[in-house]
Amino acid sequence: MPPDATALSRTLVSAGVEGAGVSEEALGVLARVPTDAVAGALAALAEDGYSFLVDLFVTDSGEALELTYHLRSFGTDDEVFVRAVAGHGAEVPSVWETHPAALYAEREAAEMFGLSFPGHPNPKRLLTTDEIGEPPLLKSVPLRAHHEVARPGIVRVAPEPSQEDEG
Amino acid sequence: MTADQVKRAADAIAAEGTLVAPKVPTGLRRVPGGVDALATEHLVVNMGPQHPSTHGVLHILLELDGEEIIAAEASLGYLHRGIEKLAEHRRYHQIGTLLDRADYVSGFHTEWAYSMAVERLAEIEVPARAEWIRALMSELNRIASHLLWLGTFGMDTGAMGPFLYIMRDREALLDIFETVSGARMMFNYVRPGGVVMDFPLQAEPLIRAFLDTWDGYLDEYHDLLTGNEIFRPRVKGIGVIPRSTAVAFGMTGACLRGSGLPWDLRKTRPYGPYAELDFEVPLGTTGDNWDRYMVRMEEMRWAARLARQLLDGLPEGDFTAKVPKVLRPPAGEVYAAVESPRGELGVHILSDGSDVPYRLRLRSPALFNLSVVDEVLPGSLIADAVVTVGSLDIVLGEIDR
Repeated sequence: MPPDATALSRTLVSAGVEGAGVSEEALGVLARVPTDAVAGALAALAEDGYSFLVDLFVTDSGEALELTYHLRSFGTDDEVFVRAVAGHGAEVPSVWETHPAALYAEREAAEMFGLSFPGHPNPKRLLTTDEIGEPPLLKSVPLRAHHEVARPGIVRVAPEPSQEDEG
Repeated sequence: MTADQVKRAADAIAAEGTLVAPKVPTGLRRVPGGVDALATEHLVVNMGPQHPSTHGVLHILLELDGEEIIAAEASLGYLHRGIEKLAEHRRYHQIGTLLDRADYVSGFHTEWAYSMAVERLAEIEVPARAEWIRALMSELNRIASHLLWLGTFGMDTGAMGPFLYIMRDREALLDIFETVSGARMMFNYVRPGGVVMDFPLQAEPLIRAFLDTWDGYLDEYHDLLTGNEIFRPRVKGIGVIPRSTAVAFGMTGACLRGSGLPWDLRKTRPYGPYAELDFEVPLGTTGDNWDRYMVRMEEMRWAARLARQLLDGLPEGDFTAKVPKVLRPPAGEVYAAVESPRGELGVHILSDGSDVPYRLRLRSPALFNLSVVDEVLPGSLIADAVVTVGSLDIVLGEIDR
């Protein structure tokens, strides 16, 4: 059941979220908000019944990172998406207080894309370790490493840094 | 729980008012800040990653005050293989093999979610026969997955015996999978457009033989575990997850239904042939380990009934649509989800029109189900933590990806 785009935009405006643009796209009803308004927008939507965070989808468009919060309301049985665009290494306020499901999702987004979420109570890595280097899901990070990890006693020839990723 | 009891539970929830989930709790029991350093007299204990009750390589840090848990934190990533990054470098037909390694216990569901996403993106019309075969295999896979959970859950509570019976009976299902798809796990059978080969004639008698004996098997498990005087106190009233907590932490599947919210994608977002089938969704009431146990036991009974309906009504026709060898879906974005044995398994694909996805994300139900341990384990005893984690039915391959 698709929700009403105008009703969603009214909710965001009455919560004082400035600069939100609501449109209906192939994915569903999607509200674009500025990065610093994400927490406010999600809090307003949680008041409105969208208290279930299905997922946090992050993608690297090359120039910037796009964060898509997928929300669901069990009361009205519909779903909305909230999208914010952040620069590389940007700070996006944590939404865990209204949507605790973001606790793990934000930790994963942080390590995979090099974001940080101020306000997160436990901003550790979730799936990787510090040795992994650059955030792996960035488009600038190749699939194959430039250098193999040196292990004591094992001599290996490192591939040339110019070697192209297999694509 | 009999069918009557299930219906009564559903009626009670309907009368109470509501599918409306309560507001998010204002104050969590404690700020989920993880485990403190060894500054106090509390003891920090590593449970796992090599512990028989962690169902894979889960590592939980427990801060203990005697036997009582003060704080808990899951430490993940031991099985991280970078499936999402690899998927950005593989063509659409090659990705099914990767995703099979995510949730290796219920491969048909993961393949179906991925195929559904690609089909919506590329606007492929799937033949009815393919959808019915997918649903049939998914329901049998649901039984196999729940059986593996049931055996290990029994072992978590100290019951060694049921595991042996369950593995014996699960063997029949694996033989069926092998007959249909050629593999006992990681099938790569469901592909964008349909299934890779037609449902073989010799599989039908195997499935019918299994379904004829299945109710007897299930009653045997009930005799072994459900009425057991040692088992019941270990699960009843332990590991309570209130409905508001389950919603707040993004739990889905049997964990959410055990807490009393009737949300099942097969009913609420019908996909494949589920709108035409007759089935009920079992529900719990309080959200303790017992409710999650009973919901899964009852789901297995319904899965077998669904499998029989699907086998009886299997339509004739093509088993796959015509799909190009190199698939280039138009630029766009799509989210598709199925109800896997663990919950809502979603695949989110962003396409730029090329032959590989620009970005593929697997929404792992077990990751969100597991995230609740930081909240529910504190306050319980260390022996109960083993049972509570077992009742969540996690698969680490899908959590770590």
